[in-house]
Amino acid sequence: MNTRLRPLVLVLFASLLLVIGVCRPARAESGEFASLKELANGRIGVQTGSTFDAITLRSLPQAEISYYNTYADLTEALGSNKIDGFPGDEPVIRLIAAEHDTIAVIDESMEDFEYGAVFRKNQRGSELKGQFDTWLKGVKTSGELERLTSKWIDGPEEQKTAFDYQSLPSPNGTLILVTEGLYPPMNYYRENEVVGLEIELAARFCQDQGYGLRVDVTNFDGILPAIQAGKADFSMSGITITDERAQSVNFSEPYYKGGTVMAVRKASYVAAMANGEQTTSVWDGIVQSFDKTFLNESRWKMFVEGVGTTLAITLASILLGTHLGFFLFLLCRKGGRITNAISGFCMWLLQGMPMVVLLLILYYVVFGKVYVSGIVVSIIGFTLTFGTSVFGMLKMGVGAVDDGQREAARAMGYSDRQTFFRIILPQAIPHVMPSYKSAIVDLIKATSIVGYIAVQDLTKMGDIVRSRTYEAFFPLIAVTIIYFLLEGIVNFLAGRVERISNPKRRSRDHILKGVKTDD
Amino acid sequence: MIRIEHLRKEYSNATPLKDVNATIADGDVISVIGPSGTGKSTLLRCINQLEKPTSGKVWFDDVEITNPSCNINEVRKKMGMVFQSFNLFGHRTIIENVMLPPMELLRKPKQDAYDEAMRLLRLVGLADKALNYPDELSGGQKQRIAIARTLAMDPEVILLDEPTSALDPTMVGEVQAVIRELTKTGKTMMIVTHEMAFAKAICNRVFYMDEGGIYEDGPPEQVFDNPLRENTRRFVRRLKVLTIDITGRNYDLYDSLSRIESYCNKNQIPAKQALRTQLAFEELAEQLVPALENPEIKVAIEYAEAAEQTTLTVHYNGPAFDVILHGDELATNVLRSTAKQIEYQRDEQADLPNRVLLTIRPTN
Repeated sequence: MNTRLRPLVLVLFASLLLVIGVCRPARAESGEFASLKELANGRIGVQTGSTFDAITLRSLPQAEISYYNTYADLTEALGSNKIDGFPGDEPVIRLIAAEHDTIAVIDESMEDFEYGAVFRKNQRGSELKGQFDTWLKGVKTSGELERLTSKWIDGPEEQKTAFDYQSLPSPNGTLILVTEGLYPPMNYYRENEVVGLEIELAARFCQDQGYGLRVDVTNFDGILPAIQAGKADFSMSGITITDERAQSVNFSEPYYKGGTVMAVRKASYVAAMANGEQTTSVWDGIVQSFDKTFLNESRWKMFVEGVGTTLAITLASILLGTHLGFFLFLLCRKGGRITNAISGFCMWLLQGMPMVVLLLILYYVVFGKVYVSGIVVSIIGFTLTFGTSVFGMLKMGVGAVDDGQREAARAMGYSDRQTFFRIILPQAIPHVMPSYKSAIVDLIKATSIVGYIAVQDLTKMGDIVRSRTYEAFFPLIAVTIIYFLLEGIVNFLAGRVERISNPKRRSRDHILKGVKTDD
Repeated sequence: MIRIEHLRKEYSNATPLKDVNATIADGDVISVIGPSGTGKSTLLRCINQLEKPTSGKVWFDDVEITNPSCNINEVRKKMGMVFQSFNLFGHRTIIENVMLPPMELLRKPKQDAYDEAMRLLRLVGLADKALNYPDELSGGQKQRIAIARTLAMDPEVILLDEPTSALDPTMVGEVQAVIRELTKTGKTMMIVTHEMAFAKAICNRVFYMDEGGIYEDGPPEQVFDNPLRENTRRFVRRLKVLTIDITGRNYDLYDSLSRIESYCNKNQIPAKQALRTQLAFEELAEQLVPALENPEIKVAIEYAEAAEQTTLTVHYNGPAFDVILHGDELATNVLRSTAKQIEYQRDEQADLPNRVLLTIRPTN
């Protein structure tokens, strides 16, 4: 090393040590918060789309709010000192605290809340709400509601038997319940099936009223749109009754009353962190996480199902999108001004729009009135975008073929069609294949947002598992690895196609098949 | 065989063909010559309808092919075309380039198509390249394959659009040799070219194109040696004599050298002689320009075909200055090595009083 640089490096190194030294005591000071008052200036994480941000600010006006998607993320954020606490409904927070020995609960209710079932704001919605309210009154007076509530909230997991709603007789038709599926003990996945207090309540209501029941699962912020668009008849998904929400949907009478409480780090965990101690060894942690993520309740089956869904959407979209793009290209090949303007506009619209927005518009607006499964809508959405990129690639690839090729073919007497299929296209495809391959990989990754329209793909399955284990990382990494494997496989297949489609890779025997040669 | 009536082609910014009338008989071999931009290629491309004429009619074997109801694809099968840029199909091997069009367009059986293709490849001397791809071949080889591909369709007419213009000078010969062989088969041909000696040697008719049409149409002896009309005469003379004017110190030496090179190519001056001509010009210019106060130099280069002899005549202003006597010794030695003979004369009455006549040393 240059000797003149050495003092500089030493100074840098020393100041780094100093910074670390200053930071360490700061970390040690953040002990367990025994009451809400101590959190007055704290960093509070809340779930996106919930009302907890408003509740937190009412009791802690100075708090610094940040937003997370799931409780699993919140739990991880709390453990890694990104936030000082997160609020939640009491049953959930108690469950999280029981699962994690790093988390404690502040026993102060910040606000009382009531969960209500949600119906559409139209005549049928009001009728259903009427039926539900009458039924609810019945189960309240008979003590059935109380029995079920204590079974799901206080009981051990073994006693939380699932209510079989799949085979309910349906003389009055079938109702669709939309729920988040990530919210134990209210609604959650257990052994590949949605269970919970709300599911059992909905099922018993349907049973008593002569309805069949189907359960759709979607992201929390997709629930109210689904009700409004008529995609589902009602929802029970830990939805707090508020005036604001009541303006856009019909709420039933409350079926659950509880308080909002705050989760914080345990003092013992904070102390251990400050001393740099590990509560469990790294290896044990990984083994535990693996068991929780894959083996408990046979959760691996959910991953398998998710992979199937992701692959189905991807492969169908590749197949249909390629055909669509090709078909569009043939239509626009002659380059009429009007067709080009229309195709240009559609390309601009489809490629410029965020994929989530396109999917939501397709699901709630275009197919809002008819029942089309989310998988089909996803395939349609991705077919459209993949089709436009195939169109663009073909345009580029054909543009890269020298115009002399077309002239020579036409001058020999090949028709316009023959010229395109026999001369131009075979030379354009090798230009297209590299971008086609990367478009496929992009497509696989892009499908990870279909959870927004009630499709349980690989990413969504990872989220569901995360909602049970409250672990942010392990399922995420597992999902990532599976994506890598899928991309590897699809890329390999595309590589085969690339090789087969390249005319220059043909063998001599193939070229002169069926010909007697002299040599 | 082909009749052209009042053919007109307009582009948005130019009208290369104003009124073209011609009748081409069976077995005619026609060279189409003329200054650039006079629509030589456009004429060819209008005949096979690669370019749609603005107006006028073209008949082929008594079928009006400019009629929209005419199936142009059927007509084109009988009209081969060879392009300046070869345009071999890049995704097909050489043998496929030659044998697939007859199979696809004429429904020829594969074995027949293969046998014929191999015969043609042997004809152009490239049978051993049958399984190569076009991008593995040199320009001259590609053009020979392109000719074989055209022949495989057994056309009645072959249109050749500057077949040697995109080739290295070293490859021009091989392609010209193949075309020369072709003319002996009696096929009707039309060839746009800048190689005048070649054109003269192979054709029985010349179209000199100028002023938006066929300006002069006649046998090569007439057009090249005794043109009837003024523009033709000027064009033919320009082909034979190259003049380069140097005015001022800032002249472009390399542009002049490349003009000499293309002049030598056109006139098929042997390579060594061409090189000596360039060298002689360069040395003369480098000597004279610094020596003169306001240089004004006129160089005329002329090639006499019969004697295979190139001469440079240089006129320049200023006081008496003999490059051999007064020049730099090294440069003078170089000049001497290029020349068979160098003469200096001074004529006080002329505009440019000094004159050097330099005869380039012949090849052997």
